[in-house]
Amino acid sequence: MTKPYNNKAWLGVLPVLLIVAFSGVVPLMTVVNYSVQDILDFNSRFFVGFQWYSETLQDPRFVEAFVRQLGFSASVLIIEIPLGLMLARGMPREGISASLMLVLLAIPLLIPWNVVGTIWQLYARSDIGLLGVTLNALGLGFNYTANPLHAWITLLAMDIWHWTSLVALLAFAGLTSVPAAYYQAAELDGASKWQVFRYVELPRLKGVLVIAVLLRLMDSFMIYTEPFVLTGGGPGNATTFLSQHLATMAVGQFDLGPAAAFSVIYFLFILLFCWVFYSSVVREND
Amino acid sequence: MASIQLDGLSFRYPGAEEYTLAPLSLNVPDGTAFALLGASGAGKTTLLNLLSGLLAPTSGRIFFGDDDVSYVAGRQRNVAQVFQFPVLYESLSVAENLAFPLRARKFDPLWIDERVRHIAADLAITEQLPFVAADLSLFQKQLVAIGRALVRPDVSVVLLDEPLTAVEPRMKWRLRQTLRRVQEELAVTMIYVTHDQTEALTFADQVAVMADGGLLQVGTPEQIYATPSCEFVGYFIGSPGMNFVDIERLESSLEVSVGASRVGFRPEWALLKPQGQGQLAGTVESIQLAGTDSGAATGVVRLDTAAGRVAVRGKLNVAVGDHVGIELRQHLCFSAQGDLVTAEYD
Repeated sequence: MTKPYNNKAWLGVLPVLLIVAFSGVVPLMTVVNYSVQDILDFNSRFFVGFQWYSETLQDPRFVEAFVRQLGFSASVLIIEIPLGLMLARGMPREGISASLMLVLLAIPLLIPWNVVGTIWQLYARSDIGLLGVTLNALGLGFNYTANPLHAWITLLAMDIWHWTSLVALLAFAGLTSVPAAYYQAAELDGASKWQVFRYVELPRLKGVLVIAVLLRLMDSFMIYTEPFVLTGGGPGNATTFLSQHLATMAVGQFDLGPAAAFSVIYFLFILLFCWVFYSSVVREND
Repeated sequence: MASIQLDGLSFRYPGAEEYTLAPLSLNVPDGTAFALLGASGAGKTTLLNLLSGLLAPTSGRIFFGDDDVSYVAGRQRNVAQVFQFPVLYESLSVAENLAFPLRARKFDPLWIDERVRHIAADLAITEQLPFVAADLSLFQKQLVAIGRALVRPDVSVVLLDEPLTAVEPRMKWRLRQTLRRVQEELAVTMIYVTHDQTEALTFADQVAVMADGGLLQVGTPEQIYATPSCEFVGYFIGSPGMNFVDIERLESSLEVSVGASRVGFRPEWALLKPQGQGQLAGTVESIQLAGTDSGAATGVVRLDTAAGRVAVRGKLNVAVGDHVGIELRQHLCFSAQGDLVTAEYD
């Protein structure tokens, strides 16, 4: 038996291929193209191979930003995933109060990034911000523009405020798919609260939690606007994350070659991490 | 194990006018296979939820043995439940699923192992023990769910809420046989909720028929079949159900009790006779072949009579359109309200 082939079907896919090519593949390849050349002006460009890559990887500022970025993303995940889960578990499952909670949770998600940054920039200011002034009144000497630790705490608080809702909403959607009979059975079995969570809820939340971790990881790894508005990467370089470092190189110094190499490394790392994480979690299911 | 005693038990949702479950009293002896039979909306599930502790009674008491458990939380009641679809800890293995209720109650680990093997052997799922529950077939999953309900030796009652619903038809019979065998072996008190009379009558030692939130009749399957307490039970049980005709429509006299206005008879309690004989005259409307008895075709004959349509089971020695007589060899009498008056047999 030979399978019948219908090559005309490829014509149907062609428009999509073109759109994807022009919106995704071509820009990406442009960046790859820049990353292996030294461009001085329109007419003088030299092929430099992997020179920009090796320079970027050896650049201490890149390494520092990368480590900071890892620390930030890890903190975000460690706090937001459990917190979102707890929120979702504590929420009422039905009725008007459930709807109300959903609306409340959705509010931070509807606010544009730079507005969130501005809100916190004002809120945490030690001279006029409610939070900053209150903390100082308590004698904490809070000042996120001068103290790197305070800047980090403010950034983390802002990200948690902005994005924990997303995790909570995803987890809530997962929880509502657990039939009541499972809770009833666990109750009759004498299962503890922890066991109910571990053996009834968690297995059914696995799918949405994988999505939540991936979304939060990718998003936090690309964070730019909020620290840019809040601290501008400071004090010093304390909150300069990868994308901000990249923007400084590409737009500020116009080092297109190194910036392009940087972008490719950045992209490949996120891709690699997501692939490893996803395949390791999903393979367990097979 | 324990007997179960319901004493004036009722349930009404807060704010509702009508009882979801009207006050009822019931005694389920220790080690009985007991079926609650009724159409949907009859209050079976409400009764089950009261037994499992998911709902608290509006009035009345529930006793497991001598203990009043009316307001005791489900986990302290020593009940186990099997649901309409297999409810398992899907990420755990079959062995871990079976051991779960025992581990939660801190039984000795060595003993748990032995008990799990014993129950698995009983249900013929020993080979599945190391597998993750999510990988099993629906039938096997339900077996594991039943195993988890039976695994606790101290369980007072096992509640089964239409446990065969999700199982494919050809496996239903097997699962019911397994359930029945294990029930007898372990002498567990089981309460089996179903809307399927075949399931109820073949599974249970005792059947309670429910309708509209009330208990209509409790008895052995034979009692319920032979002497239904009211017309509803007579019609609901049996396929086809009992025939009912007004006494004044009968053509020749029949021994009836005082106060009776209708007589009821099972399709097999009547005989088809030549025209002019018997208590009813009818025209054959349809014939349904069901099998053979010593070479003669048997089945159900439906007839149109002056007293309405009746079904007669027996030999199929008539043809559609024939005018025949119907002789009642056995019958029951019912009052105008539909209650059984007294049983008079020829």
